Amino acid sequence: MIWKLLRQHISIPQFAGFFLANLVGMTIILLGVQFYTDTQAVYQGEDSFMKADYIILNKKISTVNTITGKSTAFSQSELKEVEQQEFVERMGVFTSSAFDVNASFQLDESTNMSTDMFFESVPDEFVDVKSSDWAYVEQSHELPIILPRNYLDLYNFGYAQNRNMPKLSEGILGAIKLKIRISGNGKNDDYEGRIVGFSSRLNTILVPQSFMEWANQHYAPGKGTAATRLIIEVNNPTDQRLTSFIQDNHYETDQDKLDASKTTFMLRIIVAIVMTIGIIICILALYILMLSVYLLVEKNNTKLENLLLIGYSPRRVSRPYQLLTVGLNIVVFIIAIAIVLIVRSQYIELFHSFFPQFESPAISLTIVIGLVILIAVSIINIIAVYTKVKSIWNRKS
Amino acid sequence: METITLTDTLPEVFAQRTDINSDVWKKHVTFEKGKLYLVEANSGTGKSSLCSYIFGYRHDYTGTIKFDDQDIRQFSVSQWVSLRQRSLALLWQELRLFPELTAMENVEIKNKITGFQTRLQILQWFEMLGIADKVDARIGRMSFGQQQRVAMIRTMCQPFDFVFVDEPISHLDDNNSRIMGEILTTEAKRQGAGVILTSIGKHIELNYDKTLKL
Repeated sequence: MIWKLLRQHISIPQFAGFFLANLVGMTIILLGVQFYTDTQAVYQGEDSFMKADYIILNKKISTVNTITGKSTAFSQSELKEVEQQEFVERMGVFTSSAFDVNASFQLDESTNMSTDMFFESVPDEFVDVKSSDWAYVEQSHELPIILPRNYLDLYNFGYAQNRNMPKLSEGILGAIKLKIRISGNGKNDDYEGRIVGFSSRLNTILVPQSFMEWANQHYAPGKGTAATRLIIEVNNPTDQRLTSFIQDNHYETDQDKLDASKTTFMLRIIVAIVMTIGIIICILALYILMLSVYLLVEKNNTKLENLLLIGYSPRRVSRPYQLLTVGLNIVVFIIAIAIVLIVRSQYIELFHSFFPQFESPAISLTIVIGLVILIAVSIINIIAVYTKVKSIWNRKS
Repeated sequence: METITLTDTLPEVFAQRTDINSDVWKKHVTFEKGKLYLVEANSGTGKSSLCSYIFGYRHDYTGTIKFDDQDIRQFSVSQWVSLRQRSLALLWQELRLFPELTAMENVEIKNKITGFQTRLQILQWFEMLGIADKVDARIGRMSFGQQQRVAMIRTMCQPFDFVFVDEPISHLDDNNSRIMGEILTTEAKRQGAGVILTSIGKHIELNYDKTLKL
């Protein structure tokens, strides 16, 4: 009955205006979030262990170096110089193994492959693997390893093709245990290598830093290893100073990856701009809603006052309008999510045709952000309506 | 609530006036529960203001108004809400009905929050006051006299310790006035409540315990 009373003077065009504006704003924000998550997944699908804005740096190896025997390792002062550059957020040094490594694995009864190899490690914070997977427990003989993806390609498209051997997928290889023999310092130990993944960015075999430190100590005490490669995290891969710093010092970097990181960086900026526009539209929509609610309360001033005077509490009187606005917000949220899902189903198809192994991530983040906006807007609405009704109680209007 | 006490109370707009000769303003007056009062006034002596002050609607007065020992200026919103639901009833001179709703809806919108009267009782009052045929008519289409009767029924739809009726019969004939008085006093007696009537001349003939001149 209160509703019958209070719905008087509700302006359909005003509320439709709010509804549309808020819908557009919300859809833009949520679509931005979803698109960003999806595109991130495309990039990370290629290499989930390393973020795109990590850059690997090494000195150029020239003929002169080779002839003169000049070291390609970074000196302490050079390391310091890199670390002190403004565009460098974090720096890590590759540690290489000073001991001998031999790895073998058995494909079937008759096929046993074995190869000499080497290990390298970078500080754990640069490796994007669940920390429980990327840990070496001292005394245990299980060792997590990340292999370069081109090793697999080399085997599949070269070796196996040639010799009629079975091709291996990443999944199968992940299930195979590598037998690893480490020798040095008069010791000889066997380890079980567990491949946690493949990296297309790192052309090296990665083991956890903790293992590397322990093993170097254990199998090759006293033999220091030089830092020949660095991994740096930059705050902006498109930074001109980064490019010129690399050139001036005759360093090298994984250039194409730098391009990829430039792309993601640009993408991030575009998404940020789009989302800002969405947020502005949402704020304007909220403003329209506030204005219509104020107008509505103003027009129904006498009715609201009379309700208060016959014993209704301000809370009770506010409720119909609060429910109205919250209801609108919920409908907007649901429709926005629906639109995002429809649009997404369109571009996901496109993604799949570009990147066949693309796995679409969940939309939970988008829903969570949508809910946060929904709740925030609703709380503002509820408080605003109550304050307005309270001002009628206090006869301020 | 047992008593309503006014001490030195005066509407702010009267502050400059020196010729105030009233039994209420600037005096010490106590209204007691269970008694029947008539406040007689000329126009412009602050009759409706008095009701508004006691009902917590306006606060533009000097002096104090107390319910039992509590100064009503100290009351919170929720205290006022519960007073208006359970202890204080007021029939406004301007009625404050909702023209968009029907007569019955206007009564029910009040009775719904208190659940105090049965529908049967309400219909009986409509009958007694001769507006039974108007139960489902919109208030906006009714005459002021008819509206006064609906407003009276609505006022009865709550428990109260005190009931204020501000010029309830200005547009009623003697017969309807008598019935209004009957309903009011019966309900007040049943609840043991105090009744304060105001009038500017015409008033319901009742056995007043005290008559005050405003």
